[in-house]
Amino acid sequence: MQVNRRSVAIKRRINAAVAYVLALLAVAFFALPLFWIALSSVKSDADVSAYPPVWFFEPTLANFRELFVKLNAWDALLNSVFIVCISTILAMMLGTMAAYALARFSIRGKESVALQVLSIRMMPSIVSVIPLFIIARELGVFDTPWLLIVIYALNGLPFVVWVMRVFIQDVPKSIEEAAMIDGCGRYEVFLRITLPLVVPGLAAVLVIIFMFSWNEYLFASMLTSSEAKTLPVVAANAIKPKAIAWGLSSAAAVVMSLPVIILVLSAQRYLVRGLTLGAVKG
Amino acid sequence: MDVRASVDSAAGAALSGQVGGPPKRRDWTPTVLLAPAVIYMTVVGFYPLVYSIYISLTDYNPAQGQLGAFIGWDNYANAVSDAQLWHSLMLMGLFTLLTVSLSLVLAILLALLFNKQLPGFLLLRTIVLIPMLVTPIAVGIIWRIMMNPGHGMLNFLLGFLGIDPQPWFGSRSAAFASVLLVDVWEWTPFLFIIILAGLRGLPTSPFEAAAIDGASSLRIFFNITLPMLRPVIIIAALLRIIDAARTYDTVFIITRGGPDFATDLASIYLQRVNFQFFNLGYGSALSWIMLLAILIVVLFFVRWSGFLGIVSEKEPA
Repeated sequence: MQVNRRSVAIKRRINAAVAYVLALLAVAFFALPLFWIALSSVKSDADVSAYPPVWFFEPTLANFRELFVKLNAWDALLNSVFIVCISTILAMMLGTMAAYALARFSIRGKESVALQVLSIRMMPSIVSVIPLFIIARELGVFDTPWLLIVIYALNGLPFVVWVMRVFIQDVPKSIEEAAMIDGCGRYEVFLRITLPLVVPGLAAVLVIIFMFSWNEYLFASMLTSSEAKTLPVVAANAIKPKAIAWGLSSAAAVVMSLPVIILVLSAQRYLVRGLTLGAVKG
Repeated sequence: MDVRASVDSAAGAALSGQVGGPPKRRDWTPTVLLAPAVIYMTVVGFYPLVYSIYISLTDYNPAQGQLGAFIGWDNYANAVSDAQLWHSLMLMGLFTLLTVSLSLVLAILLALLFNKQLPGFLLLRTIVLIPMLVTPIAVGIIWRIMMNPGHGMLNFLLGFLGIDPQPWFGSRSAAFASVLLVDVWEWTPFLFIIILAGLRGLPTSPFEAAAIDGASSLRIFFNITLPMLRPVIIIAALLRIIDAARTYDTVFIITRGGPDFATDLASIYLQRVNFQFFNLGYGSALSWIMLLAILIVVLFFVRWSGFLGIVSEKEPA
């Protein structure tokens, strides 16, 4: 009996050890490039292209200074923040209202909504970029933040509707019915009872569409030229010439990606539910 | 009883959105809630699409001074004989197939691994998620720097392992493989997190029964885990297929479609036609053809994977 127990314990230890090794290998694969770019962003020009690569060096903020001063990344950062925040709020408001309507009322043709949302997702952006490019020029909104706000809100809407509908369906109707019998109006129920109960879902959806808008490149690059550039556009422009400036573009990559990473990692708990509900239940 | 009954039926009528029965007032609530989104999507989303179809039937090309005379189906007819187009569509299909398959396998393995509740795994799992959060443009920058043949980190690491330095963008096949590698790196976490959630949601009783019966891990995986995960895997794969077909940012930064058009995915070719040559009429037609191609790929996958069976199972009554 004793020998069996010990061999089982040893087997479990070995399994755990193997698991850790594999997990660390996976982490190394996914994290090393990120670590490397963070390192590169604080290297001087000489250090960054040194070969063999240097691991110990004098960190410098010169790249970031050059990024913000020479390349106008500061304006681009402000543009990104402004555009993405407003478009996200817009999409959340319109989308959650619509999701509530679809979740609580029987409306003709609502079963096809899921399929329609999926087909909107299949659309390559280029299909809409071309007409929007032409229309925007004619309307005089080309290269303004409002254009991108409107487009990003549109991009996020289907996702908000799809996922929030599932979250709202999870809230038992009886809670709302009880409130209504007590005299609450429909809109009051929506705002003061349903919404607070789906805050995890709202958080998850908000972070996800924020991320997709923040990281968007195609629309931003085609529909802006000097005033309304967002961060990805400025960063991509920094490497247009054949010889890419390693330190500078590393700094750009870091600045671009940091906000979303921080945002998403702090809202992590809600996110897993949000993503998987959209995929698994939807 | 009377007051109660009428309040109940009022609530009931409002809740079901149905007209008819004692309260005759139409409940505008669903319309008011739904209308803003619908109007918005129609004006900002639907209208440009219709306009795009119209443009595709003209010869609009501002760079060459053509102001959009109606030419009917000419653009589409020319597209059929556009070898570059078919080449890029073929690349798009091949790329999609390979990246989704590879990252799916890797994601499943990762999900199985990280399903174990070992201390510290939560932190490690969080780190693994980061690649899909990074801006695709930044991902392109990162890997372009790392894959530099002479000075890049990657070849340095390979040297450590005794492998010859690779010409990551040097040859046509190497470039395609490089771009694939980057895409797998970037999006495996996405599949991983979905499949992991699916794994977590599986019932434990079949696994317990199998363990009692003495089944080997391999058999448990293929005969129990995999079949039960099938719906989740298929949905995740579908989402990924739709996005992989439209890949643009990362590939654009790393190879610009080269060398010699080896990585000239459909999205890159289309961007060139439209915004480098400004052949917007023709380019619009091409974009609709690309959408059609994606639809065909998706339909094929839906058929092959039995997706519709899964959806009808999950539809709420």
